[in-house]
Amino acid sequence: MEKKIHTSLHYEQELSEIKDGIIYLGVLTEKAIQGAMKSLLTRNSDLAAQIIQDDKEIDRLDEELEEKCIRILALRQPAAIDLRFIATAIKVTGHLERIGDMAVNIAEKAIMLNKEPQLKPYIDLPRMADIVAEMIKDSLNALINSDLEMAEKVQQQEQVVDEINEQIFRELLTFMMEDTKTIHRAILLMQISKNIERVADHIKGVADMVIYLVTGRSVRHQALPCTSKGEL
Amino acid sequence: MKRSLFIKILGTYLAIVALSFLILNLFVHDEIKKIMIGQIENQMMTTAQLIDLKTPGDMARKVDQLARISGARVTLVDARGKVFADSEKDIAGLESHLNRPEIQEARVRGKGRAVRFSSSLGAEMLYVAIPIKINEKLKGYIRLAHSLRDVQLTVENTYRSIFLALIIVAALSVLMAVIFSYRLTAPIKAMEGFTEKLRRGETPEGSIFIQTSDETKMLADNINYIVDELRQRIKQANEENSKLVAAFASMTEGVLILDADHKIEAVNPALNNMLAFRSEEITGKTLLEAFRNAELQQAFLKFKEIGMPVAREVALGDSEPVIVDVSISPVKGDPGQEKTMVVLHDVTRLKKLERIRIDFVANVTHEIRTPLTAILGYLETIRDGAINKPEEAARFIDIILKHAQRLNRLVEDLLIISKIEMGEVNFHFEDVSAAEIVGSVLPVINQKAQTKNIAIINLVTEKLPLIKADKDRLTQIFLNILDNAVKFTPEKGQITIGLELKNEYAVVLISDTGIGIPKEEIERLGERFYRVDKTRSRDLGGTGLGLSIVKHLMMAHGGKMEIASRLGQGTTVFLFFPLKIS
Repeated sequence: MEKKIHTSLHYEQELSEIKDGIIYLGVLTEKAIQGAMKSLLTRNSDLAAQIIQDDKEIDRLDEELEEKCIRILALRQPAAIDLRFIATAIKVTGHLERIGDMAVNIAEKAIMLNKEPQLKPYIDLPRMADIVAEMIKDSLNALINSDLEMAEKVQQQEQVVDEINEQIFRELLTFMMEDTKTIHRAILLMQISKNIERVADHIKGVADMVIYLVTGRSVRHQALPCTSKGEL
Repeated sequence: MKRSLFIKILGTYLAIVALSFLILNLFVHDEIKKIMIGQIENQMMTTAQLIDLKTPGDMARKVDQLARISGARVTLVDARGKVFADSEKDIAGLESHLNRPEIQEARVRGKGRAVRFSSSLGAEMLYVAIPIKINEKLKGYIRLAHSLRDVQLTVENTYRSIFLALIIVAALSVLMAVIFSYRLTAPIKAMEGFTEKLRRGETPEGSIFIQTSDETKMLADNINYIVDELRQRIKQANEENSKLVAAFASMTEGVLILDADHKIEAVNPALNNMLAFRSEEITGKTLLEAFRNAELQQAFLKFKEIGMPVAREVALGDSEPVIVDVSISPVKGDPGQEKTMVVLHDVTRLKKLERIRIDFVANVTHEIRTPLTAILGYLETIRDGAINKPEEAARFIDIILKHAQRLNRLVEDLLIISKIEMGEVNFHFEDVSAAEIVGSVLPVINQKAQTKNIAIINLVTEKLPLIKADKDRLTQIFLNILDNAVKFTPEKGQITIGLELKNEYAVVLISDTGIGIPKEEIERLGERFYRVDKTRSRDLGGTGLGLSIVKHLMMAHGGKMEIASRLGQGTTVFLFFPLKIS
């Protein structure tokens, strides 16, 4: 009897370790995105190199979490909410790891951009990055507190990021048309913008999984009702 | 409690009474009957033997008389068992008595007795018989019968008395049980009430008083002793606890206690203030959930790994990070219940001061080296040939002089600041009219302003109250500020000097239509050598110490300096002078 309690406690502990690991991964990716953006805005190539270096820790943590999840699936045969949690964990860590990769992409491009004069003062990019950082925070909060409202808010935010991305795209296009010398930098900036937009997509994926975790209903391939895409 | 004890005592008494009655019954009951029957039997036997003295004929004739005298029924039976005389019954209807046990016994042993229920008389009867012998020849039997009803009655009477005594004893024992149980339970009841309060967590006042000196008294004394001890301990524990709580609450360091599951269990107010959140928001969460900080988590993971105290510097928060020295250390506890203490020491200010110090050293060397390099360069040029070309040499010497003067100014400014900081400057406070000082400064400034076509509007009038200030220092303050205003205002700008009263301060406002200062830089303006635009201000001839001197002088005057600015629109400097110097 005593052994059984112990086992169950152990199981509980394993689950909470995974939860903690996801939050830690989230914190690291949030830091990576912010750092990558900072390296771009302050033209700090050392910081960018550091971000690229730090991604190894994110990758390692991702692998570790995945292994833990698979171990639990194999050894504990989780049911109901626990099973959904493990499924969510596997998907969420995947998303977060990809966000880390995006941070690396941004950092790499920042290093390239730092070798040339700044094309224009960055206004929309930092705004977009701020929104994305907020989204990471919110999605993790939603995950920790099983907060549906927060998850839905994150889904809405993804639209805003999409819009800013389109706007940056158009703006950079005019730069390129005016002066062909700016093309290289403008393309790099476009890629960064696209990367941030991808980050937002991944965070939306996390939010979707939170909704799945709480309600058991999959919302991944549904369009949001209040989309404003038509105006673009 | 009382009832059950009462019942126990009463039960014991009643059991003793019942048992004694039972034993009495066992021994006495048969004894009385036996003795009484024996007496009657002896008496009857004597009577029978007396009757035997007579001849059978006499006996038969006087049978009624015999019966009357002896008080018994007399039956005479012949040798064959036939009844030939009976004092109470007609002999004709009686069957042979030969097989009656008493007759049989008499025949064999010489005398016989038997107790039997006589259906004819409806009572228990004692029968005694002896043989009638004449010349050793058996002629018949004399049998006497006596009713045992009297015996029965006597026994019953005796029993009645015993039963009455029993009831009295039982009643007495109830009474005694009540008294006894009350006397026994009263102190126990008192102790029970006393300890019940303890059990409920109250600490009862006073102690138990018991007048007896038996074991209950000892028990009460022991309880009193234990309660005293307990009170002492609780008092001690409370004192300890309040000390700890006070220390926990009044510490300037933020403290977090984590429970065995690494969830936040307690937070002290200092931490709430330091990080601006409510403790309910984070209690029950893990460090990671609460702070979402990678460095903190790394420190915590390291602590979990090595199990030894870990210290680390961590920046918490995003926009305006609070830099804290975190130290994580274990708190001893029962196995599996070990808590963790996280102490956060806010070093944001220290870090800022450290940065200012580092910046200062770097700046001061830079500031000194720039003119020195120029001086050295021109001196070398002069030595290497320019000395022979007087016009050039003169120009170079002018430059050298300019830089040397600059160096001199720099050193003087630094000296002033350090003197003010060390409190070595003697201030001579007196009532000064701001208008007068402004008036004395204006000619100097006007000269500079006119070259840039800047208009200076002086709104300070004599009507306003006097300021407590040191005249010379006040002049320097106004000079520095106005000099800055002129420097950073483009041509055809405008500088306004005003004075107004605000609460307990006289506020001198100096506003310009200059280039303005970025918002994030305003805070650092008072730092030594801090320049918003590094190259430009040096070109304008500043040492980078002007505002710093003003700031320090204002502090020495018990006032303060505030700056409001909008980029490209101008800057306003507010100088707050207290109206009363405390």
